[in-house]
Amino acid sequence: MNLLEVKNLSVQYGSKQGGVLAVDGVDLSVGVGEFVGLAGESGCGKTTLAMAIPNLLPKYASITAGTIEFEGQELSNKSEGELNEVRWRDISVIFQGALNALNPVATIGNQIAEPILIHVPGTSHDDAITRAKELLEAVGISASRSSSYSHEFSGGMRQRVMIAMALACRPKLVIADEPITALDVMTQAQILELLRSLSETFNLSMLLISHDLSVLAETCDRVQIMYAGKVAEVGTAEDVFGKHNSAHPYTQRLLKSYPNINQERKFIDGIPGYPPDLSKPHMGCRFAERCDVAISKCSTDEPVLTSISALHSCACHLVGGS
Amino acid sequence: MDNAAPILDVNNLTVEYRVKTKGQRGVRIARAVDGVSLKIRPGETLAVVGESGSGKTSIANAIMRLIEPTSGSIMLDGKELTELAGKELRLARSKFQMIFQDPFESLDPRRTVLDTILESLIVAGIGADDAEKRKLALEALAKVGLIPAENVGARYTYQLSGGQRQRVAIAAAMILKPHLLVADEPVSMLDVSLRAGILRLMRELSSELQIATLFITHDLSLAWMYADRIAVVYSGRIVEEGHPVDVISLPQHPYTQALVSVIPVPEKDIARNRIILSGEIPNPLEIPSGCRFSPRCPKYRSLGQPELCISSDPTLESIGDHFVACHFPEKKETK
Repeated sequence: MNLLEVKNLSVQYGSKQGGVLAVDGVDLSVGVGEFVGLAGESGCGKTTLAMAIPNLLPKYASITAGTIEFEGQELSNKSEGELNEVRWRDISVIFQGALNALNPVATIGNQIAEPILIHVPGTSHDDAITRAKELLEAVGISASRSSSYSHEFSGGMRQRVMIAMALACRPKLVIADEPITALDVMTQAQILELLRSLSETFNLSMLLISHDLSVLAETCDRVQIMYAGKVAEVGTAEDVFGKHNSAHPYTQRLLKSYPNINQERKFIDGIPGYPPDLSKPHMGCRFAERCDVAISKCSTDEPVLTSISALHSCACHLVGGS
Repeated sequence: MDNAAPILDVNNLTVEYRVKTKGQRGVRIARAVDGVSLKIRPGETLAVVGESGSGKTSIANAIMRLIEPTSGSIMLDGKELTELAGKELRLARSKFQMIFQDPFESLDPRRTVLDTILESLIVAGIGADDAEKRKLALEALAKVGLIPAENVGARYTYQLSGGQRQRVAIAAAMILKPHLLVADEPVSMLDVSLRAGILRLMRELSSELQIATLFITHDLSLAWMYADRIAVVYSGRIVEEGHPVDVISLPQHPYTQALVSVIPVPEKDIARNRIILSGEIPNPLEIPSGCRFSPRCPKYRSLGQPELCISSDPTLESIGDHFVACHFPEKKETK
C-alpha cells in the first residue's frame, strides 16, 4: 500500500460559477521511502495539489472532487481539529520562500521546538530544546547555534533550519515546496544531498515540488509533470528523463528548454506561446495550442492519462494505444 | 570582431564598502569587488557568473556608476566613466542600458506600456515631436514581439505576464540604441519555456545593433549557452575566464570545477562525480589571506595544504586564451 494515494482530485479557486479549476481530476501517489517530484511551470497546479493534501489551501479554494488517502485514512473530509493531529506529526511541509519564513525575534532552537511542544503533548520544554539541537546537528548546523536568530544565518542555513523544523515531529511524509529556489547552485546541491541522506536516515517519504525539471532528474525516484491543472506525464525518473524516453510532447519540449552541458552547445528551444487561461472554457488537449505535433483530434478531444509501461503514463493522443 | 576596439574596458576595478559594526570602534572595510578587469567588444556577450555574495552585481553596478568604484578605470567607448559627473554622466548613461531580474518590480504599474517606452525617449531627447516619438515606440514594441503594438501599448504593465513585461523592459532599453547592455539575471524569474524567446530576442537585437552585453547570472549552464566568454567570480575576483566551451569542458580552477560538477542536467542516466563544497563564500570583511578559495578548496587539501596557497594571492594567468587565478591549475598539472 502506498503511504499517500490521491485519486481524481479537483481543487477550485473562487465560486462555482466563475471559478478556476486549478487542479482537475489529478492522481498522485507516494510510496513509503519514496522521493516523488512534482513539476510544472507557474499556474500548472502543482502547489495547489500539494497543499490540498494536509488541507493548507487558502479560504477561497475548495476541494470539489476526489479522495486523499494517507495510510488508509481519508484526509479530505477531516475537520480542522482532526487535521491538526496529522499535520507536523504525519505530514509536514517545507514552505516556499523559506528565506523569509522564520520568525526574526525567536531563537532558532525555540522555533524548532515549537511544533514539538504543540503537536507532541507531554513534551517538556527542555526535552523539546534537546530534540531541536539534535535536529540542528542532523541538518549540518552546530547545536551551539540554537540560541542564534535567523538574521545571523545565510540563506542556505535558514533552509536547513526549515528542514530541521519539518522533521521535528518525526513525520512520515515531507512536502517540500520549491525548497531550493532562490539558493545558489552550490547551496542547492548541498540541500538536495541533505534531503536525500535524511530521507534514508529517517526512512522519509518526500514530495518535492519544483519548477526546475533538471533538479528533479537527479533527485527523485518518480516524477509527475503537470500542465494547466492536469497530469501530462508520470513515471520513474528514467522514464521521464532518460535519453529519448519522455513521452509527452510538453515534457520533451520542456527538457529542450534547458541548456544541457552534456550535449552539443546550442541555443535552447523554449516553447512558443503561453499556457491557457483556466478561467475560460477549453476543449481538447490543453497543450495543443503550443504543441508542434498536434493533430486535429487534439483540439477537440481531451486526452486521458494512459499507461505506457508499469509505472509510466502519459496523456497524449499520439502516445500509447489511441 | 576580435580586432574591434572594446566598447567596455574595465581595469583593476575595486569597490569597497565602509562598515560600522555595533559595539566596535572605527569602521571596517568590506571589499566587494577586488581588482576586476574585463573587456567587451561590439556584438560580444561576456557572462559574469557567480554565487550570491560573489560581487557580480557590485561589478555591474559599479560599471553603471550606480555605486561609486573605490579605484580602477572604466572606459566606455574610450571615455573614462569614473571621471564623469552631473550632466556628462547623464549623457553617457544613455549609452548604457540595463535589464533587471524582476520584471514585476522594474516597471511602473501606473504607466501604460506605451508611456513606459515613451519615457525612455523623452529622457534621452529622441524624436522630434510627440507623433514621431509615438511612432518609434510602437515600432519598438512590434520589434520585441508585442503585437498588435497599439493594443499592447494601451495596457498597463501590471496587466502583462512576466515574459511580456521583460519584453517591455527590453524594448525600453533597446530603443535608445545603447552601446552597452547590462542584463542582470534577465530570465531567472521567468518560466523555463519562455526563457528561450527572451534570450533569442536579446541576441538578435544586440547583434543587429552591435551592442556589448554584460550578462550577470548565477546560472553557469545558461552562460555557457548564451555568452561568447565567461568570467567566473569568487569573493570579488575573477578566478577563471575563457570561451564557454573551454570553461565548462576544461575548467581550470577548482572552484569552477566544483560549480560545473553540480550543474543540474535534465537527464537521468549520466554518471557524474559531483564535487559538493562545504561552507560558503567568505564574508567580504574577512577575505582569507593568500588564495581566498583555499579554505574550501578540495585541491588545496588533496595536495597536502601547500604553503603557497595561503601565503600568496594568485593572479589571473593566461593558459592560451583561457585565464585562471590558481597556483595549481588543471593544465599545469597534467603537463
